[in-house]
Amino acid sequence: MYAVETNDLTKRYSKKAYALKNLDFTIDENEVMVLLGPNGSGKTTLLLILATVLKPTSGHAEVMGLDVSAHPTHVRRLLGISFQEARGFWRHKPADILRFHANVCGVPKEKRDTLIDNLLKDLELWDARNKLFMHLSGGQAKRLEVAKVFVHRPKFAIFDEPTSQVDLRGKRKIWAQILRLREEGSTILVATNEVREAEFLADRVTVLDEGKKVVCDSVRHLKDSITGGDVVELEIDTPDVQTIEQVLSRIEGTVKISNSGENRFKAHVSMAESWVPKMTDVCYRNKANIVSIRVTEPSLDDVFLHFTGRALREDTG
Amino acid sequence: MSNIIRLVWFDLKPELKPPVWIIMEWAVFLVQVGVYGAIISQIVDITGLDYRQFFAVGLVIMITFSMASHTGRHFVEHAHEGRLPYLLSLPISRSQLFLTIALQGGTELALMLSVPLTVTLLILGNLSLVSVVACVLALFWLGFGVAGLMLGFSFIAFKSSDLYTAIVTGLSAIIIRFSTVLYPFIVLPSEYATAAAFSPLTYGADLVRSILGFDPKFLLNPYYAAAVLAALAVSTLGLGLVLVQRLVEGVKSA
Repeated sequence: MYAVETNDLTKRYSKKAYALKNLDFTIDENEVMVLLGPNGSGKTTLLLILATVLKPTSGHAEVMGLDVSAHPTHVRRLLGISFQEARGFWRHKPADILRFHANVCGVPKEKRDTLIDNLLKDLELWDARNKLFMHLSGGQAKRLEVAKVFVHRPKFAIFDEPTSQVDLRGKRKIWAQILRLREEGSTILVATNEVREAEFLADRVTVLDEGKKVVCDSVRHLKDSITGGDVVELEIDTPDVQTIEQVLSRIEGTVKISNSGENRFKAHVSMAESWVPKMTDVCYRNKANIVSIRVTEPSLDDVFLHFTGRALREDTG
Repeated sequence: MSNIIRLVWFDLKPELKPPVWIIMEWAVFLVQVGVYGAIISQIVDITGLDYRQFFAVGLVIMITFSMASHTGRHFVEHAHEGRLPYLLSLPISRSQLFLTIALQGGTELALMLSVPLTVTLLILGNLSLVSVVACVLALFWLGFGVAGLMLGFSFIAFKSSDLYTAIVTGLSAIIIRFSTVLYPFIVLPSEYATAAAFSPLTYGADLVRSILGFDPKFLLNPYYAAAVLAALAVSTLGLGLVLVQRLVEGVKSA
């Protein structure tokens, strides 16, 4: 059984405005699934449907075997969601907000206060614990928003852009907390348009674009699936540059090779990890010395560009 | 049930620390009864009617209306300030959420009415447990009806908050002015009286005044008024509950 499964899921906000179109999507138990896509791709809509905040127009969605439309209250007992925008109880203090959330979600009283104190310290909210929510900075409010899920520690945790507005140190702390949650057995769904976040957290990535699933696989497989996505920059000491260039271009996996200087080559290859050993073998047989080598793998930005034909951030507003 | 009480208390607590707005409302009521009520009762002369007493009850009805409208608006604020998606994601059912809104509105109404109702009963020389309980019940029926009405309108706010504000402001003005809150039915011009028959405040005001022993010739039949209020409360709250259960969705944060 999947932890999360959607079949033919569609959400329409008006006759022509589709947020999700016939989405089939699964998350395995205890997996970190990252939804990657530009703004307006349907990430938030999918999260809100799974969290039972929005209702699907058609199709079917299940969380831990429970239909989100038929058993919303049961589903809500299993999940926790950190929303994209940290808005809420303006005249409350962070510690009170977390205590309230813990109480409503049934966190045992004996664990609650220690858990909250530790989280406030870890997420660097301790000094702000008695400030009113309306006086928190954007980053503090966002950290408080994700802290709700960490207090609750649900079986299914949903994060919508969990580190937007948060500084790098804060990001690392939030990522560590998310991975700790996974270690404890939670299934995790993260929506983001930050490539680094996706690469750091994901067991698998689902690329969404215009409400449709474009591709879903592990980060490694997605990168490997780009033909010529790896770039190998080489400096080779050889008297016969032309021969070496011809030999390198015949290696299996070479998509394009160019001579970028006297003895410098730039090769676009598929799966550099198997291409490089073949290249060293070829160089050895042709009595060419490798002076330097640098391998750059494609980013998830490149993956997105490859599968959708456009850049991940081009319409980010 | 414990989650409902937690949510009500959590939302209400900041408003009571300190309860400035409640004290201000009480002060405004006391000034209105003490100063404006004294003046207007010299101007308005209706044979057989102590207009100051009539006016004091009218103010209590207006406070009830204002608080009940506030409950509807509070729901809209939940949506527009981003709390609604959060509330909808908590492990409580939509019906419990609706009950929470109603309970919070009821608590605020009870707090807000405590002083004005006591003062009004003192002015009328009718401060007793029976009159307090009967008045509170009648006012709550009225409050439920108005809150349900405003909750119904709150769904307009999901499309356009400006339109909602315009409709509610306009409707509030009409509902208060075209009613028997400030003047008895029998002295109203016929067109005005026809319009007043459609205002829920007419039935609330006349029912409370009947309970408090005002001359029946100035009032609608109390059984009729009670039936209209009950029908209004049941229908609008029922409609609100159905809307919350079936239609309400958190405003998608963009």
